[in-house]
Amino acid sequence: MTGTIIENLSGRKLAVLMTFLLLCQITCFLIGGLVAPTPANANSILGTVCQDTSTVKNDTTKWFYNRGRGSCKSINLEDLHQDISEADIVFAFQMPIPRDSNTLDYSRWQQNLIGVLQFEIKYHSQMEVKPRSVVTIDARLAYQNKGDPEDEWKLYTQSIEKRHLDCYIHNDEYLYNCSAIPLFELGSLYHDFYLLNVRLPVDTPDMNTNIGHLQDLWLTVIHQNGGFTMVWVSLKTVFFPCIIAILVWFWRRIHMLQRKPVLLEKMLLCLGLALCLLNMPLEYLTLHFDLPFMLLLGDIRQGVFYAMLFSFWLIFAGEHMLIQDISAQSSLKQYWRHLSAVAMGCISLFIFDMCERGVQLRNPFYSIWVTDIGTNLALTFIILAGISTGVYFLFLCYMVWQVFKNISNKRQTLPTMCSVRRLHYEGIIYRFKFLMLATLLCAALTVIGFILGQVAEGQWKWDENIEIEYTSAFFTGVYGMWNIYIFALLVLYAPSHKRWAVTENTSDTQNLSEEIEFNGIPSETSSEISSLTSYIRKVNID
Amino acid sequence: MKCPWLFVFTVLCMRCEAGGNKPRRGRGSMWWGIAKAGEPNNLSPISPGVLYMDPAVHATLRRKQRRLARENPGVLAAVAKGASMAVTECQHQFKYRRWNCSTRNFLRGKNLFGKIVDRGCRETAFIYAITSAGVTHAVARACAEGSIESCTCDYSHVDRAPHRSRAAAAANVRVWKWGGCSDNIGFGFRFSREFVDTGERGKTLREKMNLHNNEAGRAHVQTEMRQECKCHGMSGSCTVKTCWMRLPSFRSVGDALKDRFDGASRVMMPNTDLEVPAQSNDAVPHRVPRKDRYKFKLRPHNPDHKYPGNKDLVYLESSPGFCEKNPRLGIPGTHGRACNDTSIGVDGCDLMCCGRGYKTETIFVVERCNCTFHWCCEVKCKTCRTEKVVHTCL
Repeated sequence: MTGTIIENLSGRKLAVLMTFLLLCQITCFLIGGLVAPTPANANSILGTVCQDTSTVKNDTTKWFYNRGRGSCKSINLEDLHQDISEADIVFAFQMPIPRDSNTLDYSRWQQNLIGVLQFEIKYHSQMEVKPRSVVTIDARLAYQNKGDPEDEWKLYTQSIEKRHLDCYIHNDEYLYNCSAIPLFELGSLYHDFYLLNVRLPVDTPDMNTNIGHLQDLWLTVIHQNGGFTMVWVSLKTVFFPCIIAILVWFWRRIHMLQRKPVLLEKMLLCLGLALCLLNMPLEYLTLHFDLPFMLLLGDIRQGVFYAMLFSFWLIFAGEHMLIQDISAQSSLKQYWRHLSAVAMGCISLFIFDMCERGVQLRNPFYSIWVTDIGTNLALTFIILAGISTGVYFLFLCYMVWQVFKNISNKRQTLPTMCSVRRLHYEGIIYRFKFLMLATLLCAALTVIGFILGQVAEGQWKWDENIEIEYTSAFFTGVYGMWNIYIFALLVLYAPSHKRWAVTENTSDTQNLSEEIEFNGIPSETSSEISSLTSYIRKVNID
Repeated sequence: MKCPWLFVFTVLCMRCEAGGNKPRRGRGSMWWGIAKAGEPNNLSPISPGVLYMDPAVHATLRRKQRRLARENPGVLAAVAKGASMAVTECQHQFKYRRWNCSTRNFLRGKNLFGKIVDRGCRETAFIYAITSAGVTHAVARACAEGSIESCTCDYSHVDRAPHRSRAAAAANVRVWKWGGCSDNIGFGFRFSREFVDTGERGKTLREKMNLHNNEAGRAHVQTEMRQECKCHGMSGSCTVKTCWMRLPSFRSVGDALKDRFDGASRVMMPNTDLEVPAQSNDAVPHRVPRKDRYKFKLRPHNPDHKYPGNKDLVYLESSPGFCEKNPRLGIPGTHGRACNDTSIGVDGCDLMCCGRGYKTETIFVVERCNCTFHWCCEVKCKTCRTEKVVHTCL
């Protein structure tokens, strides 16, 4: 009879494999830390106050910008004349800002653009600004490409949005302390130059009344760094064929057996496929096509992967739980209670994501958090997802605890067996625990790395000359870690060709009888499943 | 303390910053005049070209400053804005003190703040710090607006080559595509060093004081910056978080500098500069190269006090009395200043009027009150008539 590779692999080979994988892991971490820049970068742009002298205000072919031919007439908000009305004032943000006397342009490697507005409101002792006032923003986004005439901007999208402005003041300060307002999220950075024109309309008497004396308007745009995308996509390009290859090898091995694949093997295959989906370097497409759904797709790909990983852990633990009814071929149905927690969490997160990023495909200025209903809805889904995660982890911990309890129980019967077999079983248990430990270690490293990243912002310095880009290292490290983890699972849990050397044991009569008994108990179908499972079942019957 | 060279200094010396070799006060301070050049009565709209061509502005700048203005189009408007911002802020901070940061009418060759800057006192320290901070702030702001196109991403590795080659420009674009670019304060900081510190070679004690205070002003702009963050990871979670620094309001820089003014430390020449053999490890070499002109350490006048940190203001001599008119130092005196009769602080009538007494008047003022602001351009207020008691120093 055969088992999986992990049961038959010699300690030395296992050590070599582990060392190799560890080296790969360190490489991933170092690539992120030493080669890649920070994942994303923010640019703060101060709005130029332009005067709209035209009579028709709804004209979307008329754009205001402060650089290049046809730039607007800028005015100072400090000394306004009475003959200017609110419709005449346009805040213009031209992106990106020139540097070193160069006109910079966005590269498609920079992937996405997120805009955050910051109001600077002057404090007046006679004037009161309510802490949570609504501001209405008429935002229009235009684009231009290299080679286009400097005064030709094309409308990208436009929207009138309401946002909550949270301002407070400490005693006797000059400016209010206002929270940043998320304004837009572009899933693709296809064009070279962007221009945002912001107006604060007063169409009804109570619109934009309680916002105070606006002095400056800042826009912070966040884009992914081109270098980070390059490193990230390169990693994906390397991992993708590796995982595909190991998956093909794994499935061929299973099909070489006479029996049908068991649940655990199917789960491993699904997990591998989910990882393939995550690894697929679709980002190359964004270099040639305008794909605004990439942010959403990225979320979905990650979501599918995590859902598969979580389900796999549950089933992995469950399959080693020594279930009493041996005859039944285990199937997904047995796990519906446990898996429903995963499904619940994923579905609620998916709905939330569709409500936020899905709608942003149509209107990049949309945000679910603006209206009270939207906020409640979003919070509901997030809380649901949180509860599901909690329930899931309770289930998982309970199952793992059960497995360990059972293993330690059954271990007590080990001394009654012959020495060769006992050593072998101890090896299996050891390696099972080893893999559980590896899972725990991976999860712990992810969590610890995440917390460290949140606590210590920015760069970490170990030496004057060595600068480690911690955030990037964390991302590439974690990404590489889960790839390597699943790679290792696929390798170690593939069926082994090796047969046990039964002949050596024939001298031992007790052992022989045990062997016969052992082979006889499980039904014929299970003769090729993991020997650990069969061992456990056997001991159960004992 | 008497400074003999003050008598030598005359209006005739208005261009002597170019060839002046007399050991005078900080020689790089003439540019402050630019604060008044940007005012509407001199020029209507501040456009970079016009401001640069203006001969009145031109005369206040040193050769290096003119070169900087030529190399960085648009920067002069920012410097002018920074300087006038600094003057306004200085006057706000010193509204209720005997010395109220008054400025002279802008005349060619005269210093904007008057002759008080000839003395190395606390007030001078504050002026230097706030103007240097003003330039840093305004230049960083202008960079964010995109009105200075020569702002750099990271100044450290460019090292200010006067003529940038095409290859260097291409390299900069590559840097932008690879790692992006943020932080406007870096350029503001370094530009302020280049522009404001021109002429302060750091050889005499007074020049060291100016350098130290200029650096302190810039350091305050940097440390008053506040961090903002935005989460944009999977589904908007905080797995990916990007942070950036917000430029502080200039008021908070002024407040911080005012605190330092109150706790300014009086300094003297460090031991090493007085030909005393070096005693400590961190002693600076005697002849400092130009690059290291900021690496000096001033010794506190009172040996029991701490060494001044890089954000502390330093001064050399005690302030003159600001009570009486003193034409030699350009002090107008506190005659006719408003004071607060109930306060026991420096704005109180006892201290402000230097014991000369004050007169009290009751006047009726019509003020705007209960205002609501209607974006953009309308402020609706009620008018209130209030009775006010005004005290003025005799």
